[in-house]
Amino acid sequence: MSGILEARGLGRMLPGEPPVTLVSGVDLTIQPGRFTTIVGPSGCGKSSLLYLLGLIDRPTSGELLFEGREVSGLTGDERARIRLARFGFVFQFHFLLPEFSALENVMLPIQRLGRLTHREAKARGLELLAGVGLEDKQGKTPDRLSGGERQRVAIARALANDPVLILGDEPTGNLDSHNSARVVETLRTLAHEQGRAIACVTHDPAIAAISDIRIEMLDGRVERVVESDPA
Amino acid sequence: MIGRLGFLISIALRHLSRRKRQTVVAVTGVAVGVGFFLAVSALMVGSQNDFIDQLIDAAPHIIISDELRSPAPQPGTRTFREGAVELHGYKIRTEVRGIKDWQKIVAAVDAIDGAIASPSLSGGVTLRLGGHEEALGIVGVEPEIEARISTIEDQLRVGHLRDLETTQGGIIIGEELANRLGVRVGDIVAATSSSSSARSMRVVGLFKKGQTQLSSGTGYVLLREAQSMLGRPFIINRIGVKLADPYDAQRVAQRIEGQFGYKAESWQERSSDFLSLLLTRNVIMYSVVSAILLVASFGIYTVVSNSVADKRKDIAILRSIGFSEADLQIVFVVEGIVLALIGVVFGWLLGTLLMEILGSLRFSIGGEDERIPLDRTARQYAIAAAASFAAGTVAAWLPARKASRVDPVDILRGAM
Repeated sequence: MSGILEARGLGRMLPGEPPVTLVSGVDLTIQPGRFTTIVGPSGCGKSSLLYLLGLIDRPTSGELLFEGREVSGLTGDERARIRLARFGFVFQFHFLLPEFSALENVMLPIQRLGRLTHREAKARGLELLAGVGLEDKQGKTPDRLSGGERQRVAIARALANDPVLILGDEPTGNLDSHNSARVVETLRTLAHEQGRAIACVTHDPAIAAISDIRIEMLDGRVERVVESDPA
Repeated sequence: MIGRLGFLISIALRHLSRRKRQTVVAVTGVAVGVGFFLAVSALMVGSQNDFIDQLIDAAPHIIISDELRSPAPQPGTRTFREGAVELHGYKIRTEVRGIKDWQKIVAAVDAIDGAIASPSLSGGVTLRLGGHEEALGIVGVEPEIEARISTIEDQLRVGHLRDLETTQGGIIIGEELANRLGVRVGDIVAATSSSSSARSMRVVGLFKKGQTQLSSGTGYVLLREAQSMLGRPFIINRIGVKLADPYDAQRVAQRIEGQFGYKAESWQERSSDFLSLLLTRNVIMYSVVSAILLVASFGIYTVVSNSVADKRKDIAILRSIGFSEADLQIVFVVEGIVLALIGVVFGWLLGTLLMEILGSLRFSIGGEDERIPLDRTARQYAIAAAASFAAGTVAAWLPARKASRVDPVDILRGAM
């Protein structure tokens, strides 16, 4: 099965004396409609791999294909454009802009993409906030929201431009079990019901257990890919 | 594109609105810089313009005199130019002093748009009253025309230039000379020159004190009167020219001199020493003022630089969700430009206020109630604004460039 994102021999090395290998020789496929998790001990390179997959970092070896096209050689602006229009990101810490309200944070990528008018962008932002159950918190700045609420705003923002791929870097890492379960459920729905590809780095075994594909990493390499039967 | 820029500006404004204190400090810096720039340059440029006006008005814009830049070639040399035989030691022809064909020159000048030419004849006479004698340079003029090309009329304490026409043998002399001779308006003095017998002149006007030359050593009479007194009928030896644009003087003077051969001296040429002095003054002024603006731009640099340092995490967020390097650079440059913009507006207000205060000061010089000459033209405001914008943009651009180079991976990793 062909994926949205395909890595072939992907590697990332930090130059220095001696050079540090973060990721090396990774082959993997991220598929639409599937919830993929990347797991492994601390320092195994799973976050580094996620930044490579999310076009935030550039590989030092191997190639990365997004929708069949080699993307690691694209210019910074072209890569930014793909991140903006096609990807969504959810980080461990909510990473919302503190000066902007929940609604404004969600609207940021929409406005930057500039396909919608301000009015349409606002309507879409409200719709997304409603989708994560926060329509009544739209005017609050991040410091007035709880940790779980912030992370849900971040998810709403990740969905702003209707991405084909959502990348999560320990999206539940900072949340209690109740909020954590809620976030995971949201992500799973996005994959199974809306057909988006989800790739999450996590060290929460509970999340890994419910994912469709589990990529286990060790020392910068993929050790094993475990695929659960599609339910 | 405009939508994108507007959106990025709104982000910049949001950043600034959350850093009120720093914003106020930076804006104040720019405002003070711009305000003092305006006040200082208004003073400097104003006094300079005042000074130049006086230079320009003190005498006609161009003075054509009966002198030549190099002696005229003698007829022998002219006839046998480049001849095989060199002639020298022949009798030099005596040329009659005075401008030949001066009517043609006057006509040529009058043909220039807005230009007026006033012919005059000057020479020396001796004024005598009782046992007292004073040497006097007299200038014979056509009062009607002379009044239009010079500020002589303004220099009169008593009387008018046109009184020369209505009074037989009228003369205008300086107050100081009148005091020395002990005459008043209406009194009669005797004037003699080397080529005529004494004749009686009636004082019809007095020049103000202070203008040393006019006040003590020069007298104005009718042109006809001067010609007959000096024994030089129909002759003139000076043509004063006033132009619509005094700054055209150099060019026009060169043309007249090229055409007629007589020395035509523009006011710039006459006062080139002063003008080069003013240049030095301007260099000093602009260096001082640039220093003020430079200091103000440090304020902007600090705010934007701090903003970039504080916002590294936000920069990483925006970069990772798909904002380009250029986007981030624009956001932070806009912060600097906005600070400069607000600073300029307040600076304009401050500058206008300072100018009002300076303009309201009065003091007296030589008995005349004077105000400080100020230049309040829009040009100074534009220069101040342009300089602040340029300084502000550069000051913001340096840290903004740093912002755009923040590698989101470093920040994301650091936050883990």
